[in-house]
Amino acid sequence: MNWTDYLRGKMGQLFSVDVWLPRDLPEYAFGVLYTLGSLTASSFVVLVVSGVVMAANGPQWWTVSAIGFFFRGIHFWSVQAFFFFMILHLLRVFFSGAWRGGRERTWLLGTLSLLIAVPTAFTGYLMRGDFYSQWNAVQAKDGLNALGLAWFNVLNAGQMYGLHVVVLPLILGLLIMLHIILIRVKGVVPPYPSRGETPVGLDEEGAHDAGS
Amino acid sequence: MPDPKIDFTHRYKYVPSDFIKHLATTTLVIAVLAVALSAAFREPVRPALKISTVATQNPVLFEKVAMGDLNGTGQIATYGPPYNGGTGSVQSPMQRIVGVIHPVNPKVDFILKPLRMAASLNPSVGAALRVWDAAPAARQQVWASRYQAALAHARTVNGRVVVPHGAYGPVPMMMQGLLELGRSGLMTGALDRSPADYQFDNMNALLFLQGAPLHNAASRLELLGNQWGIIHEENAPYPGPWWMTIVTAIYQIPFISHASSGDAMALAIGMLLFLILMFAPWIPGINRLPHHLGVYRLIWKDYYRDHDQPKPSAEASP
Repeated sequence: MNWTDYLRGKMGQLFSVDVWLPRDLPEYAFGVLYTLGSLTASSFVVLVVSGVVMAANGPQWWTVSAIGFFFRGIHFWSVQAFFFFMILHLLRVFFSGAWRGGRERTWLLGTLSLLIAVPTAFTGYLMRGDFYSQWNAVQAKDGLNALGLAWFNVLNAGQMYGLHVVVLPLILGLLIMLHIILIRVKGVVPPYPSRGETPVGLDEEGAHDAGS
Repeated sequence: MPDPKIDFTHRYKYVPSDFIKHLATTTLVIAVLAVALSAAFREPVRPALKISTVATQNPVLFEKVAMGDLNGTGQIATYGPPYNGGTGSVQSPMQRIVGVIHPVNPKVDFILKPLRMAASLNPSVGAALRVWDAAPAARQQVWASRYQAALAHARTVNGRVVVPHGAYGPVPMMMQGLLELGRSGLMTGALDRSPADYQFDNMNALLFLQGAPLHNAASRLELLGNQWGIIHEENAPYPGPWWMTIVTAIYQIPFISHASSGDAMALAIGMLLFLILMFAPWIPGINRLPHHLGVYRLIWKDYYRDHDQPKPSAEASP
């Protein structure tokens, strides 16, 4: 197999203007409930921007500077927004059965993003440099040690800082990007068949498990 | 039959929209919201607990913690992997398999090493250490155990810890030296793990404080595990990390909160619940649950209003 040809085919498909800059959307994908995913992604953008400013100034900044403290506030409120909208988005897609029609991987990547978002936020709480950081570090160590995860040394602020500002956001950003790519490629899950509709070639779940 | 290569969302009507304007708007909304909330409400801060504060405000507690470390009876001295060879806090075979990857010897690292540093500033500490070093291990153990027991009856007089008269060898002098080091604020530096005085790792300072000092402070703020501690944000009206609610809730189950391997159980149950959520599309029953619950009819209310046919007969409904 020619690797270059394979990548050309895949990338041409994935990075087309039609995938990333759609000019129209299906009739059922409108309204506030269809803004929750975008609000989550937007919160991530604000988190990254405020986080980059904070990282550029070092981990003492928000404990000694009023501007640093203000940025920590922006970072704090945007992480609240991130989880708030993420959970609402999760509820919306769950109640929509959004994995139907071959969208299982889209769901999987979304839940994986939530899974990675938790330690990403947790390592951030350890960066506050206050009692909360001290207390959560010593409280979390026992569970992590017990599960054989002692490498993840919550008492080592240097390691936690590296994980929080580079490793975990990179993984999270990648997962969110793949999640969005799949949403764009697979389309937004359609409603369950309406009353009286005979879905041609689809089962009642919307083709998810046709033939099962 | 529809072409299987064409996604079936193409069966639906498409409506013009401005995707980029939509994304720019949501990002602007969040940015403005975060800036406004930070300006209006700032964010929660809880002053850190310093070793110097403990040494100043509660010298007896400070010495009790230090004696646990010196005598090998403290929580960290007996902890086990990943810190040392103890067994006191080993909750699972995985913990043992990982082994000692962050070695800590509280007696040396938390007490004797800082004291040797203090000795260069305080000659009486140096004299006490020389007596300690010259004594056989059994005698050291006797002195330490006697002094540890005596601390149960200790009082603080003019900032000094006073215990009932007894044969404690150099231990009271060592503890007084350590207490002064703690009060000075220099002990945190003495607990540095970096061989190059270039500090990134505050593990030893946190492990020194992790028992009663941090627990007492957390208890006052209602932050203990059985007080839904991890998701609390002090008494201020700030949201905490409420996304940890499920794991924190598991800690409230008496069976788990009282188990010696409670931490491992709570995290493992939390992970199991998460795996169910993650693999919901493949789990029979759960993958059809949204259809049965019918909340989707509210989500797509407008769509069904336009597309539902009147109910002429039962067989037409899905």
